[in-house]
Amino acid sequence: METDYLTAGPVSQMLISKLVEKMSHKTDSGGHSIFLGQVRADEIGGKKVKAIEYSAYAELVSIEAEKIKKTILSEFSDVRSIDIIHSTGVVNAGEISLLVFVSAGHRLQSMQACGKTVELIKEKLPVWKKEIFEDDSHIWK
Amino acid sequence: MGVKVLFFGVLAEVSGTSIKHYNDVKTINDLKLKIQDDFPEIVHYNFRISFNSEITDKNLILKKGDEIALMPPFAGG
Repeated sequence: METDYLTAGPVSQMLISKLVEKMSHKTDSGGHSIFLGQVRADEIGGKKVKAIEYSAYAELVSIEAEKIKKTILSEFSDVRSIDIIHSTGVVNAGEISLLVFVSAGHRLQSMQACGKTVELIKEKLPVWKKEIFEDDSHIWK
Repeated sequence: MGVKVLFFGVLAEVSGTSIKHYNDVKTINDLKLKIQDDFPEIVHYNFRISFNSEITDKNLILKKGDEIALMPPFAGG
């Protein structure tokens, strides 16, 4: 499943570096804050998580992500752009499942807005995760 | 073809499907009862409703072609 906000599998290093490259043309920005969410190999009841399988309501993800961007842009006047990319499908422990990239004129708002964006994503994006253990059993989070 | 119901997260596993069509349902509450008849275990789960890509708590009137999604608590990130 690929949209502006969703990518199939882990967020690749290429995706991250493409965004950094894109920013070199945005010379009105003085600071970028990047948040990378990584799949953690939690141990639950003696079993270790080997991967997370994400599913999403793609249409609603786009609608809610646009709303999040509007909220952030209205709250932080120095923010120039916000990119959000979330994984769908299987992401192994140690791989990246969420990328938030916020650019602003100056560092303070880029950092504050990045943190707020991540919190809103957790609260508002219709994404679900199934934690898969090493023995292939799973739980829903 | 009536309304399209999407099941997400654990609810797709509980119902064994991600999409099901329902005919002759007048309202969201009406639809919920039909879904509970088909998948009785669903009453043990919390979920919110999206009506044509808009989250709602209202008992809206349904018409042919509407898309209803059953969404457990979000867990992105």
